[in-house]
Amino acid sequence: MGLRDEQKQATRERVLEAARDLFNEIGYDETTIRAIAERAGVSVGSVFTTFASKAEVLSHVMERRLGDLYSEFDRVLPYLRGSTADRLCSIFAIHYEFETRRVKLFLAHIAASFSPSNEPGITPFGRNERLASMLVDVLTDGVKRGEVRDDLDLTLVVDSLKAFYAWNYRMAAAMGSDATAMSAVMDRQIGLVAEAWRPR
Amino acid sequence: MSFVSLNFESPTEAPIKLTRRAMAKQRTRERVLSSARRLFSERGYEGTTIRDIAQVAGMSTGAVFASFADKAELFDEILTADYEVVIAQMAVAAREGATVEASLLGLFDVAYRFHTEQLPLTRASIAVSWTRSDVAERRYRNDLLQVFRLLADCLQRGVAQGELKADFDAKLVAEIIWDMYVANYRRAIYDSWSAEALLERLAKQLRIVLAGVRA
Repeated sequence: MGLRDEQKQATRERVLEAARDLFNEIGYDETTIRAIAERAGVSVGSVFTTFASKAEVLSHVMERRLGDLYSEFDRVLPYLRGSTADRLCSIFAIHYEFETRRVKLFLAHIAASFSPSNEPGITPFGRNERLASMLVDVLTDGVKRGEVRDDLDLTLVVDSLKAFYAWNYRMAAAMGSDATAMSAVMDRQIGLVAEAWRPR
Repeated sequence: MSFVSLNFESPTEAPIKLTRRAMAKQRTRERVLSSARRLFSERGYEGTTIRDIAQVAGMSTGAVFASFADKAELFDEILTADYEVVIAQMAVAAREGATVEASLLGLFDVAYRFHTEQLPLTRASIAVSWTRSDVAERRYRNDLLQVFRLLADCLQRGVAQGELKADFDAKLVAEIIWDMYVANYRRAIYDSWSAEALLERLAKQLRIVLAGVRA
């Protein structure tokens, strides 16, 4: 990597870190590119040479965070034990544990997923293949073990679980719930769906 | 079915014995609301400023601020007006269904059709709802209570009719049905799904969830 590339990379890191903190401290809407540049100690122009928009900055902040989370999952997944429902509960509990450290940031991520953007650099919540495939894998395994009905539309189940998962963050925001409280609610929601997927 | 919202540009019956001043104030409010509705629908929440709204309404920003404290209050007022219209129609549709599934689908059919007809406004309202202040969130939760009551009624009737078992957590079921309903709007936003397609998807999701609580 040349010196120029190295500098570019360093700017990028600084911008993402500053944006992550600002989005979480004062909120996404209130954060301007100018404020991000200021906190990162770079010029506004150099933010714009790296990212096309604030939405793209948010998307990259999340992508990087989730990258860390998912490499953790690569390590943990093979050790998940218990029923299909138990495994799903564990996966979501780990997510809550991770994201409740920066609730406001995550809420901004969900909010952005309802604002369409055709910019190529953006992956909204709900389009994260990694989470979806992890959940489908657990369910598929459940089908193999005879715990889950084999005529179930697994993608539909996964999308529904993700909807509950996201909605529960509002509790965290509105009532100051912690990861444990959110996981407890999610466990009950998963339990309810598990009742429905049981072969009969 | 056509939906008539309370603050579309339409002359409302003036209550009797309003002073001229009060009437003028009322008219200003209505002009602001209808301009705001138009701009929020076209440009979304973030893309609309009080200055734009004032310009479209043909008045000063000061005059807008005389009627509304800020953009959030203006936006909420529009949503509440819509909400009152749509919730009444959802209630009617819910009563018409013979089974739990039919009444739930009936009420969500109303909601999907209403909200996809003005998708930019819907999109803005969902997006904003995730990042609003605590006060706004509490107000929103109040509105939501009405929907949850409707959903609970449908589920209750299902129990009474012997379709659903008696001992399930109706609140939890109502909540997850609502989560699925809202999340499906992403399909309308990103993939241009129609109200019919959204409802069809929700029908499949409902079938999965209800399977767990059937008698």
